[in-house]
Amino acid sequence: MGMQGDFYQLLKEQGYTFGVPTTVETGHVLTNATTILAFKYRDGVLVAGDRRATAGNMVMYDRTDKVLEIDRHSVMAIAGVPATAYEMVRVLDHSFKYYRRTQLQELSFDGKLRAVSKLLKENVPAALAGTGAVVPVFAGYDMEQGSAKIYFYDILGAEFEAVEYAVSGSGSPTIRGILHYLNTWGEQPLSALPEEQAMVQALRLLTSAAEFDSATGGVNREASLYPVIKLITGAGVQTVPDATMKPLYESQVVRYV
Amino acid sequence: MYEEPYRWVEAVGNRRQYLDEQFKQGSPVVALSYDGGILLTTVSKGTPKLYEIYDRLALGGMGHPTDLEKLRFSLLEMAHVEGFNRSPSDVTGSRLVKYGIAPVIKQAFEEVYKAPFIVRIVVAELGQKPEKDALLTINYDGTFEETTGRAVLAATSAAQTKMMSYLKEQQPAPLSLEQALDLALRAWAIGSLAHQQDEADQQAEAKPQTSNAGSSAAAIPSSDTLIAHVRSIAGERTIECAILERQAPGSSKYRSLKQVDLSRLLPAALQSVVAN
Repeated sequence: MGMQGDFYQLLKEQGYTFGVPTTVETGHVLTNATTILAFKYRDGVLVAGDRRATAGNMVMYDRTDKVLEIDRHSVMAIAGVPATAYEMVRVLDHSFKYYRRTQLQELSFDGKLRAVSKLLKENVPAALAGTGAVVPVFAGYDMEQGSAKIYFYDILGAEFEAVEYAVSGSGSPTIRGILHYLNTWGEQPLSALPEEQAMVQALRLLTSAAEFDSATGGVNREASLYPVIKLITGAGVQTVPDATMKPLYESQVVRYV
Repeated sequence: MYEEPYRWVEAVGNRRQYLDEQFKQGSPVVALSYDGGILLTTVSKGTPKLYEIYDRLALGGMGHPTDLEKLRFSLLEMAHVEGFNRSPSDVTGSRLVKYGIAPVIKQAFEEVYKAPFIVRIVVAELGQKPEKDALLTINYDGTFEETTGRAVLAATSAAQTKMMSYLKEQQPAPLSLEQALDLALRAWAIGSLAHQQDEADQQAEAKPQTSNAGSSAAAIPSSDTLIAHVRSIAGERTIECAILERQAPGSSKYRSLKQVDLSRLLPAALQSVVAN
């Protein structure tokens, strides 16, 4: 008898393979995705991501959703190759549901983390071949402990717990410094920010990332295109609607010179 | 000896008798549509009898717990693999039942050298629209029936018919969850009383002089009597309720009702049962 309630095992028995390495043809540029961030605020954890997907100099798509809900209390934000990342989310989504429905109990938060790193490990050959590298940030609310948690990974599947914040993607070097500065010398630490202030900071951070990284989309007001921001609290995952972001962006992010 | 056709028919007939016997102690299951989705309810002893299968699918069963587990796992496996490989909207109750478990149950039933599944199953499916809701019942021999609005499982087909006609007659308009729960429990009581009656009849038959007429034709008891019956039995058991809720957030629509919900929803006469 194998491990009970393991959906991934079941898929493998049916001949499914994840993370097949294929070499990239020279001159072919892969689609990539970009700046994501997560930090703990007063009520839980905020996860945000811009919406641009690029392949080299090309903007492939401006409405990518890189902050993906896996279940009621966990979210995975992705940087890297979207094809692999979406597949990962699909596997995880079904794995967690399958576990809950077969075992009649929720998979623990640690169990969910293990599932993410297991998939990343399976994906190593593809990541090293250059066709499937994914660098996710996994954030969620641990119901048993009653606290929000953030984890980030490298492409090999090593798991790191972030104490206050985590960033990933090509625009992340810019905002990593800002987050450190804000958290250490800001008016208040990130973890004390009320919901609205947390959203304002997230919008400012993504706008900064877009300023210095061409592969990050930022905010496009003409197209009324806002980033994706999700808030995870004990009550579950909540997506911030554009209608909430718009006034915040206009009053507290835009600077008219 | 089963090679001869006659023997085989006889063996299958014996099986029916044997299986019918197995359900006598079982608790009926009622599935009922209400204005916000589908309600499943039973009064269980020890092991739960209502389960989540997929985003919009629920399972209720009576019979042997191990057999039910086996079929539950095959349903879960089929549903999740299909939902992953195709899409969650392609996972439908009727496909899972007709091409999935019903043939397996039928085969086990007719292979007279092997053990049959001692189960009766109801699969409830919440459609995207209320008119797409479906209820499928499967018997131990693999025969299945697709209905809408209401479905029941009970030990005998007579008990099932009684429960169904009671539900039909008492359910004129769409019900609220509260009303549906009340009605479902009353229908459950009808099934449960019918089981008791059958047993009493059998004992009476053993004694030659007692007349057993009238018992099966007995009038339907009043609502109060029915609820009182539920109360008398639910004391040592658990009222188990699950709903498929159309308005539930997220993709999973199944929710099993907890004590808090039950104490809010149950008819006043049954409140004391939950409090214990």
